[in-house]
Amino acid sequence: MEKTILIGGAAGLGSAVTAHLIGRIFCNLGCYVFNYRDYPSLIRGGHNFNVLKISDKPVYSHEYHYDFILALDQKTIDIHRKDLKKGGLIFGAKETEPVVQKLQGPGILANDVLIGLLFKYFGADLEIILTEADEIFGKKAGLIKKAIEEGYKLGVQKETLRRSSGQEAKYFISGSEAISIGAIAAGLDVYLAYPMTPASPVLHFLAKRQLANNILVFQPENEIAVVNAALGASFAGAKTMVGTSGGGFALMSEGLSLAAMTELPLVIYLGQRPAPATGLATHTGQGDLKFALNAGHGEFLRVVSSPGDAQEAITRTQEAFYLSSKYRVPAIILSDKHLAESDYSFNEIKKSALPDSRFILENPPQDYKSYKITANGVSPRAVPGQGPVVRANSYEHNEAGHTIEDSAWTIKMQDKRFKKLDFIKREINKLNPVSLYGKGNNLLISYGSTKGAILDALPQMKNFRFLQISYLKPFPAEIVSKEIKKSKKVILIENGVKGSLADVIKEETGITIKHKILKYDGRPFTPEFLVDKFKKI
Amino acid sequence: MIRQDFNTKEENTWCPGCPNSGILLSAKEALAELANEGKLSVKDATLVTGIGCHGKIYDYLNLNGFNGLHGRVLPVCLGMKLGNPDLTVLGFGGDGDTFDEGVAHFVHACRYNADITMMVHTNQVFALTTGQANAITEKGFVDGSTPLGQGEKPINSLVLALEMGATFVARGYALQGPYLKELIKKAIIHEGFAFIDILQPCIVYHKHSMPYFNKNVYKIEETRDTGNLNQALERAREWDYSYEKDMKVPTGVFYETKRPTFESQWPQLKKPWYALKRNINWSRVIKEFK
Repeated sequence: MEKTILIGGAAGLGSAVTAHLIGRIFCNLGCYVFNYRDYPSLIRGGHNFNVLKISDKPVYSHEYHYDFILALDQKTIDIHRKDLKKGGLIFGAKETEPVVQKLQGPGILANDVLIGLLFKYFGADLEIILTEADEIFGKKAGLIKKAIEEGYKLGVQKETLRRSSGQEAKYFISGSEAISIGAIAAGLDVYLAYPMTPASPVLHFLAKRQLANNILVFQPENEIAVVNAALGASFAGAKTMVGTSGGGFALMSEGLSLAAMTELPLVIYLGQRPAPATGLATHTGQGDLKFALNAGHGEFLRVVSSPGDAQEAITRTQEAFYLSSKYRVPAIILSDKHLAESDYSFNEIKKSALPDSRFILENPPQDYKSYKITANGVSPRAVPGQGPVVRANSYEHNEAGHTIEDSAWTIKMQDKRFKKLDFIKREINKLNPVSLYGKGNNLLISYGSTKGAILDALPQMKNFRFLQISYLKPFPAEIVSKEIKKSKKVILIENGVKGSLADVIKEETGITIKHKILKYDGRPFTPEFLVDKFKKI
Repeated sequence: MIRQDFNTKEENTWCPGCPNSGILLSAKEALAELANEGKLSVKDATLVTGIGCHGKIYDYLNLNGFNGLHGRVLPVCLGMKLGNPDLTVLGFGGDGDTFDEGVAHFVHACRYNADITMMVHTNQVFALTTGQANAITEKGFVDGSTPLGQGEKPINSLVLALEMGATFVARGYALQGPYLKELIKKAIIHEGFAFIDILQPCIVYHKHSMPYFNKNVYKIEETRDTGNLNQALERAREWDYSYEKDMKVPTGVFYETKRPTFESQWPQLKKPWYALKRNINWSRVIKEFK
């Protein structure tokens, strides 16, 4: 079974909430679901839509051909009717309006009538749908449930979708939610962010759950304040994360350099969107790869990882905290709008077994030195309040953290900070810095959210393996080089104009990648698009 | 404790005779006295500095310290309170640092009312970069970047602080050591955002300040009602940071009031996070996704 459902309407009519609820119900029925969200930067009006792909096999991407169009306005029908599959169905005002009138409720109930209609088609158990509505809407569920029931009565059953014994209910989770719970699993104490799409869902998720999880969430006056306050909190001993998109990250880049110089742990969640400048605020792209790798003045170490789906977002976030805390370096989690705002389904969602240690000395000695030079370059960390004087210095400094200008100490400290590199590399090699999928003599290479469409397209790309690179810094050069060298044809896939990952691979391995499939219209790849381009190479 | 307990072995590189040394001395004495009076836990005290001549105080005070970036003293202070509410956080900023590069942070720090003390070394120039005009420099000042004369009137930082909601506003003079020490003590004890504008006449790039201050600075009478915002504003406007004619330059506490602190809005912010051992209940965390 595989069905694709589009639900659309003007902003404010409820398409995103309804798509999410429909996704949850299918997950509850044991189906795999992928939910793609497409919306412009406006609050009321315009045209928002979601595409839900439902399958009895794992699914990680969407397509633009629909079995169902659920329309909250006429525009949705006008725009998408051409993409309705043969035998596909459109439900819209014709079906919903009489019910809304009958119930004398607000127009927003049209969403719920559509839900009833849809699940009647699938012959789903009405109780399951109503229970989900209770869970999502709580006290407000009364009229909503009535509208669902009315829609259900109105619908025609064509299939019988029951949760069979082999199909357990699925977890349904977005990339943003996954980043958030990954941070919670890692022992997050303080989250700071200034609003910016597509990073804001993490701010909202964590803010709403701050008391339940005993964490603190605050939105300072700008991104410069965010990163500097984060370093103040980190200095004081809090596990701290900040979140932003490209423009905000640009403002943070001076603070990134400060994190490196002060050797204070800091995790940065960077959700990419198309740029330059404001770009396409609510769309997706991977144009900030080289920015993430190079931002900040001076030469310093950083960790940059990029999860490919929501499950990976959990564990890569935990790893970012682990590496940043243990090695006292900044760690960047590179995501994008497509990962951040899409919902993924899994049989289980797991956290990494990495410890959530703080890497702070229990009893620092009285002669403690904040920047003590050690074999691996990592100075044991103490925090103010423990007793000994603790220092952080943006100026070059000696072991005690006092300002210096002399040549000998400058060299010692630059070397000390870079000494960590080999140890971080070893650590990353144990964290699956790359993943290989499929079999063949040829190779597809990509990173981040493109994973979904590539995995779904891979069966149609005969004789191709897919190499997903999850650590961009330090770069797993040896493995990547080995895989490229043993492949006949190599194609880079990237949601960007130039294919920055090819430049990174060139810099790290010396190998030039000739073939690229690129997409830079602000929209993510679909398997269909990939297969089509693939045929032309 | 004695003030020498706060000495470091670092070489003092302020110009000989620089009034910054007076600020350092007053700060050390204030810290020692507060510790002796049981009003300060020295191990929990942390200073934060920006970049400029003032920032060198980081190396001269034997105290937990964070020598940050130019203009970013206040966000670091704020973050420290979010990381550990038990810390006594002392910000030292320059006037260019605070009112040029970091003015947005200052405005918001006054609104937030975190329990921090912000001492701004006001010398009316960017001294360490050889004397360019800053936001507090008087109109007409001639220097390397303003050979035609500084075109704008300066910000009155006291008025800004008062208007933006600072709950403790004072002005000290680096050459009035014992009085400055008392102001610093009051500011540290104050629960909320305390701002002290410390006149620190630059003896190299802004030479006309010191004789002007020595002639015109006076202490605000002790009996004055410090809870009256309008009176505080009136007093703050007595001197507009210009030197065209002799005007009285008041020092002392202009305003003091009480308002819930920034930190108090989070019931979960009670003790330092680093002392917290977490035990993540993963099945509870993921429950909402199924």
